[in-house]
Parts: sequence; C-alpha cells; structure tokens
Amino acid sequence: MAFREEGRQMRLRRTGSVPPDARVRHYDELAEASQVAVAELADRPRTAPESADLEDGDVVKFTDYYRIRAR
Amino acid sequence: MSDSYVIVGDGIAGASAAETLREEAPDAEITVITEEGESLYNRILIKEFAKGKLPEAPISIHDESWYDDHDVDLRLNTLVVDVDVENDAIRTHEGETIEYDSLLLAIGGTPQQLPVENADAEGVHHFWTFQDARKIKESVEDADRGVIVGAGLLGIDFAAICGAQDVEAKYLMRGDSWWRYALSNEGAEIMHEAMRERGVEPVFGSGVDHFEVDDDGHVEAAVDPNGERYECDFAGVAIGLDFNTEILEDTPLETDDGIVVDEYMRTNVDNVFAAGDITEFYDTILGERAQNGAWGSAKEQGTIAAHNMIDHGSEPFEWVSSYSITHFDFPFLSFGHPTLGDDSVEATTDEGEWRRVALKDGRVIGGVLIGDLSPQSAFKQLMREKRDVSGQRELLMEPGFSVDDLVASTEH
Ligand SMILES: Cc1cc2nc3c(=O)[nH]c(=O)nc-3n(C[C@H](O)[C@H](O)[C@H](O)COP(=O)(O)OP(=O)(O)OC[C@H]3O[C@@H](n4cnc5c(N)ncnc54)[C@H](O)[C@@H]3O)c2cc1C
Repeated sequence: MAFREEGRQMRLRRTGSVPPDARVRHYDELAEASQVAVAELADRPRTAPESADLEDGDVVKFTDYYRIRAR
Repeated sequence: MSDSYVIVGDGIAGASAAETLREEAPDAEITVITEEGESLYNRILIKEFAKGKLPEAPISIHDESWYDDHDVDLRLNTLVVDVDVENDAIRTHEGETIEYDSLLLAIGGTPQQLPVENADAEGVHHFWTFQDARKIKESVEDADRGVIVGAGLLGIDFAAICGAQDVEAKYLMRGDSWWRYALSNEGAEIMHEAMRERGVEPVFGSGVDHFEVDDDGHVEAAVDPNGERYECDFAGVAIGLDFNTEILEDTPLETDDGIVVDEYMRTNVDNVFAAGDITEFYDTILGERAQNGAWGSAKEQGTIAAHNMIDHGSEPFEWVSSYSITHFDFPFLSFGHPTLGDDSVEATTDEGEWRRVALKDGRVIGGVLIGDLSPQSAFKQLMREKRDVSGQRELLMEPGFSVDDLVASTEH
C-alpha cells in the first residue's frame, strides 16, 4: 500500500486519452463512498477528501474518462 | 501438512478468493485453474477496448508474475471436466487429477446463442471474454451496419460499441422497450434516445427469426419474426447466460440455475464453496435465494468464500449489488434486485432524471437511477437496514431524498 498523505483533497478532470501505464478503474469497481464522490465531482469544479481506493493519477471510467488529481 | 485450496475460475471471484486465502493462510497450497488463456483481467473494461477507447495494457489486473510472487500455482488453458466430491479431487481435460482439502467453484456463465438458423455464423458475436472483445473490435471496425439482440445490460454494451465505432445499428427488441423488467417506458425512453443519438435505432416488437449468410458463411442480414429484413455485417447477441454447471451433473452438489450456496458461500458439501455469478446464494437482505451478475458482488463473494473456507461461519455475505452504465453523458445505475418485488414507485425528478424503486413487503429491494445518482447511498442503506417504508414511498421520489427525511416523517 502506497504511503498516503493525510487530509489530501481530490478532484476529477476529464481526460481525452488514457496513458497505457495508467491504472484505469471502472466506476463499478469502486467502493460505495468513492462512487458517491466520483458522481459528485465529475464535471464540477469541486473537491472532496481523497478516497481510500483512488490515487493521484488514476483514471476512472464514468460517463467519460476522468483523471484523479489529489493534492 | 498445509491445507490445499483449489479454485476453479480466475475471474474476479476466483482471483479475489486467491488473494484473501494467501493473505490469511500464508502456508497454504493454492491452485487456480482457468479455461482461459490469460490470467485475471478487468472484464468490465473490455467493452471500452472494443469501443476503441482503451488500449489492452490497463485492462490486465494480475499478470502471470503475480501468481509467482504470491506462490499461487496458476493453470491457464485448463478445463476442469469433472468434480469428484467423494474423493476430494477434480479432473482436467488432459486427464490430470488434482486433489483438494477445500474447493472453490468460481466458474461463472457462458453467453447463450439464439436458437435460430445461422446463429453461429461468422460476424455474429457473443460477449464474455477478452478474446471475444478482440474479435468484436476487429469485426466492428470493418462493419457499416449492425444488428443487436438482447434488451438488457449486456445488449446495451453492443449498442455503445456500434455507436463508438460509427456502425449504424438496429437494436431489435421483442417488447416495446429496453430492459422492460426493470424500467417503465418513461425511463427506458431516456435510454432509447441516447442510443438514437449514437446512431443505434431501437426496433420494438421485433427480434430475430433467423440470420442470412453470404457464400462465405458471413452474416449479411437478420430477419425478424415479422419478416422484416435488416442488412448487417456485424451482429451482437446478448440474450442471457447459461451457468457453467454441466461439470457438476453427476455430483451431489445442489444446483438450480447456478450452484446453490448459503450466505457463507458454502454448497451442500462441506468442503466445496462457490462464488461470483455462478451462485444462487441465500440473500440475507432479500430474505430469499438470489443471483447477482455484477463485478462488485462477485469480488465480495470471492473474499467472503475465502474467509469461510478457512473458518466456516466467520463472515456472511451481506451486500447490495449495483451495476452502472457509463456509455452516455448521463449516468445510469441499477442496484439490488430491480426486476423483483410486489410494488414499485417511480418518478421523473428533473429533465433527463428518472428513478424507480422496487419494493417487497414494504421494503426497498432494488431500483434504477438515471441521471441523478445522489440517492444511491440512501437507498442502499434502506435495503441493508430492511426499513419498512410503506406509507412513505412517495418520499423516496423527492429530488434530495435522504434517509433522515424518512426518520423525521416516521417520528411525526
Ligand atoms: C461485456 C461485459 C460487461 C460487463 N459490464 C459490467 C459492468 O459494467 N458492471 C458490473 O458490475 N458487471 C459487469 N459485467 C458482469 C461482470 O463482469 C461479472 O458479474 C463478473 O465478472 C463475474 O465474475 P466471476 O468471477 O463470477 O465470473 P467470470 O468472470 O465469468 O469468471 C469465471 C471463469 O471461470 C472459467 N471457467 C468456467 N468453467 C470452467 C471450467 N470448467 N474449468 C476451468 N475454468 C472454467 C471461465 O473461463 C471464466 O474465466 C459485465 C460482463 C461482461 C461480459
């Protein structure tokens, strides 16, 4: 398990292309709390606390491809 | 001597069981056997590969080194043909016998063929494996016109693939709407419109009577029971699954549609367990036997089965399954058992937003959300808590519904 900084916020950015080395997750693979966060953050200029099963750089397939930025 | 665990199937259910067993039983012998030629991959992303949106690499989950690193004996391209529960052994197609102390059957299902002429012609596709996805992609990239059959969750993947690959398609449905067992016409119409926008035309009161083929045996048309002929060079058929229970026919293992297990994923034979799509499990939330066909549920069942293989009765499966459709610019989510129940309530909550909740004995047992997924946690919570919502069902349709609304109104 990668070291995770406490208190990071994540947001979602639409991404046109998926890098071959990215970890890609389908919405249905995510824990319920992450699903709620993804549905909430997609296409909105909002942030939420970083989810346990998502990491900076992950790509999530929801209604589009979204890249997670956690800072 | 250490315990030996044999897992048949390296889909998400079998693989998550292997992972859990290795964590909890560091010295155990673990063997994973799969008929497929590749180890665990992300079955719910292969449609994105077929759409041309995703390369192969991110779809792999466990490469073969994972099995070495975790000291798991992986057997690819190996079909289990017989289970001998009296002697605690399985037999492979090559005649090898492998003994076990505890066996997990995570063997899933196989897509059904249409029982019509030329249902196996070149260009007629079924969709379950990564190999299927590669063939679909190749075939759809060369196609101009497509036909899709099967008005359910896998059929709509074919529709999205045709849409993404610029194939003009007819989606032939027997009834008058898509997934009519879970949605009313009003909800389904949102889905129909999204298909049309992608060049996929739903055709109702139709279906396939037979396929026509050219001189090379390649599909060239589907003819429906009304005699309408739809030319196509690609056909996608997703009419349901046959669960892979044939290998259990001569065993005392109880099967119905799938393998019958209790809430601990154990069959009627003490050291034989099952997990994933193949199970007909006792659903503690529904209060009766049920089947799920979803990734999250299969993964959880694999984990739970592993816990109970080590210590039976240690952890029951208590899970509200869900399944989304992410092909369109609005989200769709079905949860629980949306096709069951004795009552339902539905509403359009905003433009393009629709929801339906299925109820049984006054309790929420499933539903469908289109456009607005925000009540998903509240509905799943109501299911887990088995809350009686009779007399308050209309509240479930309020746009910002939360469980607290219900508590407040109950207390009043
Ligand atoms: C195209 C597609 C799209 C999907 N989309 C979604 C989605 O968006 N969301 C969602 O939640 N779910 C989705 N699903 C469903 C989801 O993928 C399944 O519910 C889940 O993968 C089931 O996992 P499993 O391990 O139970 O079975 P499977 O993944 O089917 O694994 C069973 C394995 O056992 C092997 N096997 C069977 N019999 C034998 C034998 N006798 N010997 C050796 N090996 C054997 C099979 O070859 C197979 O590899 C989709 C499925 C498909 C096909």
